[in-house]
Amino acid sequence: MENHKLSISKINKLFKDKELKPSELYDEVFERAASTESIIHGHLTLFQEENIQKALESNTRYEKGEHLGPLDGIPIAIKDNINISGHVTSCSSKMLANYVSPYDATVITKLKKEGVLFTGKTNLDEFAMGSSTENSAFGPTKNPWDPSRVPGGSSGGSAAVVSAGSAIASLGSDTGGSIRQPASFCGVVGFKPTYGTVSRYGLIAFASSLDQIGPITNNVEDAKLIFNSISGHDPKDATSLIATKTEQPNLNKAKIGIIKELMEDGISEDAKEEVYKVAKLMEAEGHEIVEVSLPLTKMSISIYYLIAPAECSANLSRFDGVRYGARVSGNTSSEMMELTRAEGFGPEVKKRILLGTYALSAGYYDAYYGQALKARAMMKKEFTDIYKQVDYVISPTTPSDPFKFGEKSDNQLEMYMSDLCTIPANLVGMPAISIPTGLSSQGLPLSVQIMSPANTDNTLLDFSQTLQSLVSFIDKPILNRTEK
Amino acid sequence: MNIIPTIGMETHVELKTNSKMFCRCYVLDTDLPNESLCPTCLGLPGSLPAPNKKAIEFITLLALSTNCSITNEGMFHRKNYFYPDLPKNYQISQFDLPVGTEGSLEIVVDGEFETVEIERVHMEEDTGKSTHIGSGRIDSATSTHLDFNRAGIPLVEVVTKPLIKSSKEAVAYIEELRQLVIDLNISEGKLEKGNLRFDANISVAYEGDKELGTKVEIKNMNSLKSLEKAIEYEISRQTKMLKSKENIIQETRHWDEKKEVTSSMRSKEGSADYRYFSDPDIPNMILSEDFVNTIKATIPVLPSEKRKVFMDSGLSIEDSNNLGKSSNWIGEFYIQVSEITKDSKASFNFITGELQGQLRKLELLSLPNWVTAKNLSEIIILVNNDKISFTSAKEILTKLIEEKLEPEEYAVSNNLIQENDIDEIGKIVLEVIDSNEEVIIRISDGEDKLIGFLVGQIIKLSKGKVNPSVAKELLLKEINS
Amino acid sequence: MTDKIDIKNVAKLAALKLNEDEQQQLEKDLSMIIEHFAALSEMDLPDDKISIHPLGMSLNLAEDIASKSLTHEEALRNAPDSKDGQFVVPPSLD
Repeated sequence: MENHKLSISKINKLFKDKELKPSELYDEVFERAASTESIIHGHLTLFQEENIQKALESNTRYEKGEHLGPLDGIPIAIKDNINISGHVTSCSSKMLANYVSPYDATVITKLKKEGVLFTGKTNLDEFAMGSSTENSAFGPTKNPWDPSRVPGGSSGGSAAVVSAGSAIASLGSDTGGSIRQPASFCGVVGFKPTYGTVSRYGLIAFASSLDQIGPITNNVEDAKLIFNSISGHDPKDATSLIATKTEQPNLNKAKIGIIKELMEDGISEDAKEEVYKVAKLMEAEGHEIVEVSLPLTKMSISIYYLIAPAECSANLSRFDGVRYGARVSGNTSSEMMELTRAEGFGPEVKKRILLGTYALSAGYYDAYYGQALKARAMMKKEFTDIYKQVDYVISPTTPSDPFKFGEKSDNQLEMYMSDLCTIPANLVGMPAISIPTGLSSQGLPLSVQIMSPANTDNTLLDFSQTLQSLVSFIDKPILNRTEK
Repeated sequence: MNIIPTIGMETHVELKTNSKMFCRCYVLDTDLPNESLCPTCLGLPGSLPAPNKKAIEFITLLALSTNCSITNEGMFHRKNYFYPDLPKNYQISQFDLPVGTEGSLEIVVDGEFETVEIERVHMEEDTGKSTHIGSGRIDSATSTHLDFNRAGIPLVEVVTKPLIKSSKEAVAYIEELRQLVIDLNISEGKLEKGNLRFDANISVAYEGDKELGTKVEIKNMNSLKSLEKAIEYEISRQTKMLKSKENIIQETRHWDEKKEVTSSMRSKEGSADYRYFSDPDIPNMILSEDFVNTIKATIPVLPSEKRKVFMDSGLSIEDSNNLGKSSNWIGEFYIQVSEITKDSKASFNFITGELQGQLRKLELLSLPNWVTAKNLSEIIILVNNDKISFTSAKEILTKLIEEKLEPEEYAVSNNLIQENDIDEIGKIVLEVIDSNEEVIIRISDGEDKLIGFLVGQIIKLSKGKVNPSVAKELLLKEINS
Repeated sequence: MTDKIDIKNVAKLAALKLNEDEQQQLEKDLSMIIEHFAALSEMDLPDDKISIHPLGMSLNLAEDIASKSLTHEEALRNAPDSKDGQFVVPPSLD
């Protein structure tokens, strides 16, 4: 059966028409998991046994015509930095390997109300810090298109399981591209909403002013469906936006800017080619394409690698072995904390904590963190000005197609550069989506990223749906092809 | 040359909100540990702060009442340091944009007004409580137990400028601040419960020196008594060092309640680097003019204003200040009584001495409704007019609290009206002299204390109706004649 | 700007115990990253008031309505060590 590649609305129709039962789809995705997990290692934990009862309850609801909404009975995977009550939330760290959360993240509460069936928790780079899942304390996830290559990160597990079909969709978190980059590497859709539209309550913070939860899906339509069910004001998150303005309808004739600075050095020819290809298709539809310049995007890596580590250095202070998590004993409490943190955190996490601590420390604050805040504010101005001229901006999602394991793990700066195109959306707070559009010369997926002004998420999603139909990306990962 | 001390106070005021500062857990007063916790105040992964509106209203009230300027845009910062009782290992506090700055507070020291300059008033969260288990001494503890009920309770930190000049002034300042937060109804204000906790920064320098001396911070003073003693100890310690040209180290010292000395706390390597930065979980806080005006409208009568009213009634600064520390209704009752009696001092003494004493003894929080300013004034006037003795006044008051009565009527029917007729008293005096010849001789020989004995005899014979001072006067006159 | 990172001091502030090898490796890695920041540090940027929220949103305060959240047992369930209803840690000295 190939139901797992259908859109959620089609599945929902099958459920309603009693042509498919939630429990049957549930079994199908776990069959997919059984045949793919040993290769790709996308899930850290699978909830098959404990949720079968919930699948049967969903069956009953559809039988009685009392289903809860379009997501009722849909198997969705959750990145393991989002708390589900009663389950381990490990952040792929030894620090939290046995930590059982006593509460649900707000997005989980919302999805539970809609009758979603959780498949399990997915792998990530430890505490969401990385671009390949190579930083997971529990081993990396493999790319379903080529298991010798990385799935991207940090939401590598969430992207890989959707690509491999062991979940219909998934939730990831995106701090500098952690949804979009792995979605691109795995040939699926990844959406980072406007900052503050989806509650962060229950998402284990990496960098609070940049983090945002979003969906990874097989298509734009599914992303929109999930986005609208997880978004909305949450009083538990003080940064959560109160009400979004009524959005503009999808434009028949839009003006689209190609970001000049993201089409230069460091971007592969293949990746650029995808952007030009998409531009041509849109032009043919009557949209206008122009080139725009946003000079500060050149600084995004530096800005990001000051702000994110600074915030994470404080966010990760709570992992100290006192109240929960791993503990390494010591003679005094401060020794216990230092040893626990030395043992519990992996090298990349330690590096970023130290970098952030340094950037905030006496004597360096103004030159580093303070300067990064100013540059971030300037970059926001640049985008505000550009959006007076164009409706959307586009760029490649990633500088290249998926790289091989170990290829960049020895060159930290090159690894950091893989977020070059995705970071600006986090710094500015605007929505951004990655849509698979074609294959590289090596036969691996490539995507285009579209961004729009803050609070135009649904407009962006509608527009992206049009684009998706134009490119009709139908290729499937090797795993799926070999099975056929 | 004179050596002058300079003192700055940092005071934490625990607010009496229903819920904590950044989560909606109950603010509990309980001995059961770890009962009022949620993911946020326990610092669980993924939790977020949601600042409490009531706490911001309370701090604004306090900042306005200490004449501070209110910032129109406030920020919360993270103060980073590792300590087991700090759940996130950073404290959410305020740094460069506190709620209030540049204020002042009027205090009373030795019957005179002084002004304490306030530098800042800012909002923060409390930590959990550590109990060190072992042989009692902190440095030989075998383990530390942690209770996080207190973690996240809203605290206002009030920081003065280093312009306080004596321990007395520091004590008066804390008393004034305590009275203020009680009158504003924003804190229980109980020192013994830690609702108010204070540290003192102390330095000494030669009079006329342009620069202040090296600042030493004193912690662990749990009462006004220990505050006074600790400051005095520290001033004398530093003064001795300055005189003998010893180097005073900038450090934090601990007040040892038992030994009555300050001692150096285990100092952390180098000076603390808290790496303050704006908390990205909490957007900038706008305190609009409308908001501030709304809070302004709720300011009750402040201690300084109460003092002014009492002084206008004729009381001294000292008495006015003391009366201000009583419940508001006592002050109001005093004003009514003093208007009837036209004697502020007598009214003050009778109300704060006798009436409040009786109420305390009977554990009453308010007056029975038949005790009015009118009938209480009647008692005071009877005493003032020498119609009854002070002892009788106390007796009438005791009765009055028990049951409804008219004081003058009661005095008459219970034979409490004093005999002021000189002739009548003279007769009794002579009678007593006659029957105490031996005593009279001894008095003539210089045993003055026996005069009192004779006065007592006169009062006894008159069944208590004679005014003792009149009796004494007549007695002396007779003896000396 | 080429500030050398005092790795020992920074590690102390971050409560991370590092062995000699880690110290050397991290010092090298971090210096390389910090060098990369030079261009940003040298930029001349306007000193406007910064809003910490990326979209410039201002704070909405929460009503002071208390409610019960975790039970005592839930609060202590993940504790590495506890006794008499309290979390237990080695002695904290300063």
